[in-house]
Amino acid sequence: MQGQAQELRRGTVVLACLVLLEEPQYGYALLETLEAAGVAVEGNTLYPLLRRLEKQGLLTSEWNTDESRPRKFYSVSTEGAVVRAELVDEWRGLVTSISALTKEDS
Amino acid sequence: MSTSTLTDRYVHDVVRRLPADQRQDVATELRGTIADTIEARRPEDAEQAEHAVLTEMGDPIHLAAQYADRPNVLIGPTLYSTYIRLLVILLCTVLPLVTVALVIIDVLDGVGAEGILGTVAWAVFGVGAQIIAWTTVVFALLERAQRRRHTRAAGNWSPKDLTQITPRDRAGGSAWASAVFSAAALGLIVWQQVAQPFRTDAGEQIAILDPALWNGWIWPLLIGLGAAVVAQLLRIISGGWTRKLVLAYLVIEVLQVVPMVWILYQQELFNPAFLAEVNQDWTTPDEVYTGAAVIVVILAVGGVVGRFRQIATKAS
Repeated sequence: MQGQAQELRRGTVVLACLVLLEEPQYGYALLETLEAAGVAVEGNTLYPLLRRLEKQGLLTSEWNTDESRPRKFYSVSTEGAVVRAELVDEWRGLVTSISALTKEDS
Repeated sequence: MSTSTLTDRYVHDVVRRLPADQRQDVATELRGTIADTIEARRPEDAEQAEHAVLTEMGDPIHLAAQYADRPNVLIGPTLYSTYIRLLVILLCTVLPLVTVALVIIDVLDGVGAEGILGTVAWAVFGVGAQIIAWTTVVFALLERAQRRRHTRAAGNWSPKDLTQITPRDRAGGSAWASAVFSAAALGLIVWQQVAQPFRTDAGEQIAILDPALWNGWIWPLLIGLGAAVVAQLLRIISGGWTRKLVLAYLVIEVLQVVPMVWILYQQELFNPAFLAEVNQDWTTPDEVYTGAAVIVVILAVGGVVGRFRQIATKAS
């Protein structure tokens, strides 16, 4: 059951990142924000994921060296914003379909 | 600092598995992230917190695989069943054949029961391990080549790329047989040179094929046999002969046949010492070698023509 739930959550992390990274954020801060928002994700999943999204052109990044340690800030690119809009639509559609299905069930 | 910290060692262990141009960037980010995580816990014991955070990040090998975005497998699901099938076939055919051949040689040499048991044990474990190791190496390389091709061709797939279903897969069976035959021939040639299995009346261990071949003609032959195994495996995986594969097969055949014919023509196949022992006073007539050379050529031409016909009928 835990494996299935994890499988279900996997795609939502990408969507949550695309939504949250409207404001530039660095890895650990994003992890905390996600956690506070109730999206459970491990660091060893999130950090490589951010790089993959960047490689796919959905995120851009910039090093900030003003603070005590250099941090890589990620934010959504124009292409990322387009994908995000599509994913949000997809998500709403899924919620509608699944709630309709589960209503019939009970 | 005389010793590196746990974090330094962890980061190093992750990035050394990544492409060189990403290492610096990932290392700086990862180090910062780990430091951020430790700091956020406001630890009383910094070292203990570092230990805990690194434990949560998990095995550097897994993390590196995630960063590099490549699966952590040697042989993936598309090749796995073929790999297992070939291993079983090789272990059920080549291994017993080699073992029986070795035992027969031992018996002819008059080796005692203890010696024969030793030979059997060596054959089963030694030759078995070789078969498993080399098959695995070939498939791991195929897997890598396939993955590279897939990432390049991703998105360009169309139903046209589907391979034809050959009516009755008798061709598949013969491809298996050819692959096993080439692998066995390759193994036997190397083995008879390494193990020097024949014992002369004088009690000397010698090779059956002419050792002088190892200074020249045997190499294209061995490379040809190895390439033939790979070509047959590719043929099995792709489910039929393609134009490219048949052309590769043609080159491979030439690579094998030319040295083979030359060796036979020059009568340099067998070790002279071995021939002297086996034939005693009798000399092999030239016709035997010429005949063998002709048969080799006929078989090769037949094989190539047959394969060209297969792709021709498929295309029509």
